[in-house]
Formats: sequence, structure tokens, C-alpha cells
Amino acid sequence: MASVKLTNVKKVYDNNVVAVHDFNLDIKDKEFVVFVGPSGCGKSTTLRMVAGLEEISGGTVEIDGEVVNDLQPKDRNIAMVFQNYALYPHMTVYDNIAFSLRLKKVPEDVIYAKVTNAAEILGITQYLMRKPRALSGGQRQRVAIGRAMVRDSKVFLMDEPLSNLDAKLRNQMRAEIILLRQKLDTTFIYVTHDQTEAMTLGDRIVIMKDGYIMQVGTPMEVFEKPSNLFVAEFIGAPKMNILKTNLVKEGNRYFVTPCGAKLEVTGEKGKLLADKGVQSGEILLGARPEHILLADGPAENHIPCKLEVKEMMGSELHLHVITEDGTRWIVRVPTIDLNQEQREHLEKNDAELYITFEGKAMHFFDPETEKNLIYGE
Amino acid sequence: MKTQENTASMKRHMGLKAASRISNTIIHIILVVISVIWLIPFICIVIQSFRVQPTGMTRYLFANPDAEMNEGLAIKFGFDNYVNLWKSDFPKWYLNTFIIALVVAVVQTVIVLCMSYTLSRFRFKLRKPMMQFMLILGMFPGMLAMIILYQVLKDIGLTGTNAIPGLILVYCASSGMGYYVSKGFFDTIPKSLDEAARVDGATRAQVLFKIILPLAKPIVIYTVLTAFMGPWGDFVFAKYVSGITPSAYNVAVGLQSWLATTTMTSNYYTMFCAGGVVVAIPVVILFMCLQRYYVEGVTGGAVKG
Repeated sequence: MASVKLTNVKKVYDNNVVAVHDFNLDIKDKEFVVFVGPSGCGKSTTLRMVAGLEEISGGTVEIDGEVVNDLQPKDRNIAMVFQNYALYPHMTVYDNIAFSLRLKKVPEDVIYAKVTNAAEILGITQYLMRKPRALSGGQRQRVAIGRAMVRDSKVFLMDEPLSNLDAKLRNQMRAEIILLRQKLDTTFIYVTHDQTEAMTLGDRIVIMKDGYIMQVGTPMEVFEKPSNLFVAEFIGAPKMNILKTNLVKEGNRYFVTPCGAKLEVTGEKGKLLADKGVQSGEILLGARPEHILLADGPAENHIPCKLEVKEMMGSELHLHVITEDGTRWIVRVPTIDLNQEQREHLEKNDAELYITFEGKAMHFFDPETEKNLIYGE
Repeated sequence: MKTQENTASMKRHMGLKAASRISNTIIHIILVVISVIWLIPFICIVIQSFRVQPTGMTRYLFANPDAEMNEGLAIKFGFDNYVNLWKSDFPKWYLNTFIIALVVAVVQTVIVLCMSYTLSRFRFKLRKPMMQFMLILGMFPGMLAMIILYQVLKDIGLTGTNAIPGLILVYCASSGMGYYVSKGFFDTIPKSLDEAARVDGATRAQVLFKIILPLAKPIVIYTVLTAFMGPWGDFVFAKYVSGITPSAYNVAVGLQSWLATTTMTSNYYTMFCAGGVVVAIPVVILFMCLQRYYVEGVTGGAVKG
């Protein structure tokens, strides 16, 4: 159990490629922090620098107040789970889990107690005498987690631990990691490229791109108040719709004009825009698929569009629509809200639809800096 | 219609089977011929080694054509040569060779494996240039260094009676150059295993000995075998380092000395053959014991394939 502090951490490779720029982050004791971003954004590199597997080119990494830059991984008191499991193939599951304890010369009876306890928590007791090759992917990943669990380390590092599992198993293991976290009650740093994992697991999410931190915040913060366009598009599935349009200020009221409609910005958002002193001008309007509404029929401010693609997800329907000026939108409709008439209408190819926006759930970005006009620094 | 198609495909199938049987037969015949050719010298040596009379080299194996005229020349078989071997200098040479080969096998294996692990896992300046340099260096025949090596060994007093430590030094000195095969094998072992072990608290040495080497058993065996075989059968270096001191000969030099007389008519030929057979025995045993480790697939299940 420990805090982790990264100050101006930098990674420059031999060929002068900068993988991580000035990374600053304070991770509190027992916090679960998730690094998320597309591949090549430097999230794994940062984690490996914390682990000591990658040399730190600049800045400092502190674990529990102690600078660990020059410490070997074995001296940092960390545990790590790898994407590809990295089990020792010549050892049984028991020996795999016991490996670190044997290196520390822990008495065998203590090792036995710890290994069996971990195996019980992970549900792999019956496989303890098997070799890794006789296990399935999910079981192997459990062994890898078990190996990290028995160490009682200060920080638990996970590098895309679920990426090699199939979708169903991934959901199951995700839930198990949440349970595990409650049991272990230690500091976690978790790397993933999957925003769902980041949202569901993290106390705080660090969204990275090209070696820079884009935003740090709780799942709700990054979802509701994305500080820039990248975060807005990265978090949430299907991704946020973005449209270049105009913001019009009339007195203290703000309007947006997508596809010829004129929609008022309602709720807190309007007030916040006024507080920031935002003037009329071109903006990027962001609207999440669930915040675009299907309207009944032609009316003022209802944007007419055609249905292009329909994705049935079971509980919800993803409609890909195209407006008259060629803009494409994704609309997310809960299936339960659709009446029989609407369902039949949606069955038709090129069905005519009308959409409108929830005024209180719009996002506004500067077209040049791509920063959020309200929440961007 | 359907049955017709089926018979057609069956015929095609049969044709394939017959063709593969024919090609297999041809391949086997060729292989058998090659192995017979390859085995003939060995068989000759074994047969000669059991001949009782001390003679020089002969043109016959089982029957002496001159025996028709002289009964005394008829070939007799027995173990005399082997008994005589132990009365000669041979045990001393055998021991010399064994000591050299054993020490070299251990030292060279350690050096080669450490070298391979280093080149496979560490990234340091001049790593690539060094590997290229060693590759080029390895293209020169070792014999080129013979004269200067002899001079150096003589200066530090490791020739003649001290030939054994001298030879050990010569064989071990360049052993790091033989890293290619094992480095190639180490490269196939996922790096994340090293990383996992290091996070688990292992030092680099522990990673090598507890994780990598158990996984690289075939290559360790290979390294030991080649390291042992080099000095075991070496003649040239052993010859000039030991010079004219028979007590420092290894088996190859010693056995050759029985044949190399000024008149080229030695009577030790059959004993020489017996010596050859005895030299081959430990190598055969070694291969038989270790060949079962030549198995693949030891890394199964380590990481997601």
C-alpha cells in the first residue's frame, strides 16, 4: 500500500523518439488509476517505467515518498500482471505463484498457505499441479494475477491484462478484478486501450495521446466534462458525434445551428458559457449518441435525415443517419422506448427520420485548439 | 453421378498415395546407401581393432591372401590390442584428453550461455558492431593464429609438459564466439518472462538460471556436447602445443604418433584402431544419454500464442 508520484517523467528512446512527455501524476494510497489511450500513446511505457522495466529518461518516480528511478524492479516492491500472462512454462501453477516467495526465502509452510489462499480466491485450486500449457487463456490470466497477489506488494501494476481474452471472458474477469481490488485494498495502476475497462475499473482515469496526458479525472468527469475533443471522442461508445457549426449568442442565451436548425443551449451549460464569456462564432459541437433524440415528425428544429445503417444491440438500437447536407450522426435509442409503429418504420431502407438534441447535454469545442470551451484549461 | 465423382476422387487419392510411396522408397534407398558408405570406415576400424597380429596398414579385412602360402599369416581375432592399450601410454593420453575436454566443456558452456543471454537480452552500446566483428573474426580459420598462439603459450610456459593447461586456455579463450545458436534460441523465449521474473524479485543471474536455462535445455545440451567434442577430437592444436612431450599428448596426437614413424612402417596399426574405438565410446554414450533432451516445444503455454 503506497502512494505513487510521477514528476516530469519523460521517456526518450535511443532514436530520439519521445514516447512520454512531462508526465505528472499523483496517485494516492489505495487508489485505482487507469491509463487509457490508443496504441502508441505511451501508457504502457509509463507503467513500465514505474515497474523499472524501462529506463526513465527524465523526471522522477516516487513510490511511498522514495525516489525509485535507479532501483531494480525487484527492489521496488511492486507486482505486475502482463498482457501475455508471462507464466513460467516449465513450472506448475503452484510453482509459478510460489516463485517470488521462494526467491525471498519465505518458509515453505507460509508459501503453501499463501498460494492455496490465492488459488482459492481466484478459483484455480484444482489446477495447481498443472503446467500453464494445460490451461485456458482465462485460467492462465488468473494464475498471472495470483502470482502478483501473493507478493503483498505496495503497488499492483496491470498491463492490459484482459486484452488477450475473448469478449465474454473479459467482462467476467473485469468484474473479478473489481472484487479482487476490494480484497487486496492496495494501489493499482492499470493500463488498457479499452475505454469500457477504464470507466468501469478506475477511480481516476488518465487519458493519454502521443505521450501527453489529455485529461485526468474520475470516470464521470471525463465522460461529462471532457477537457478536449480527443477525450470526448475517446470516452463513450459509440463515440461522440462531432459537427462543425455556429454558436450564436443572443443576450444571455446561446443557440447552436446544426443543419439549419436553431437549438437553444439549455440547463447549466448555457450559464457556464456565459460565465466563460464565450462569444458567437464557429465551434465544434459534440453530442453523444444517447443525447440525440428521435423526433416524431417534421417540426421546427427537427432535423430531417435518412437512415443509413442500423445496428441492433438488443437493449438498444444504434442508428447511423445522414442529414440532407451530408453530415453523418449516430443515434442511440433504447429499444424499450420504441413503439410498434416506430419499429416498423425503422425496418424500411432509407427510412425518413427526424432528430433533435438535448440542449443540456451538448459539448462545445474550439475548432482550432480542440479544447472544451467550458472545461478546457 | 455422385458415385462417379467419388470413385474419381478415390482414384486420385490412390494415385497420390502410390506416388508418395514410390518417392518414399526412393528416398529411403538413397539414405540407406549413404549410411552404408558412411559406416564402412567405422566397421573396418572395429574389425581391425580385434585382429591379434601387430601389423602395419593392410589392404584386407577378414582374410590375408598371403595366408594360402604361409599358415602363420592367417588372421586371428581377440582382445589383445585392448589389453595392450592399457599397458601403453594410452591411459595417460586418455586421461589428459578427458581432463581437457571436461574442463573446456564446463567453462565454455558457461561462457557461451552467459554471452548468448547478454547479447539476446541486454541493449548496450557497440552491441551490434561487436556481433558483426565477431562474425567476421569467425570467418578466419583458427589455424591462422597457430604460430602466434604457440609463441604466446611458450612465453608463459604453457607448452610441452604444461600443454594441458595451455590447451585448456586455447580452447576456452575464443569460446564466446560460438554464441550464435544459443542466442538465436534465447531470442525465441519471450522477453516478458524475464520481466515477470525480475518483477518477482529475481536478479539477472537468477533469471538466467531459473527461467531461461530450464527452458533452453536442448540448447544447453547442444552447447555442452560441442564444447566437449572440440577438444576431445582435436589434433592440430594439441600436436604443436604438446610438441615432443609424450606425457602431454592427447589421444589424437598419441595415436597418430604410433603410426607416424620415419619409415612409415609401424606395427601398431591394429592397436591404433583399438584406441580409436575406445575414444569413440564416451562420445557415443554421451549422445545416447543426451539425445532425449533434443525435444521441442518446451515453451508451450508461457505466453499467449
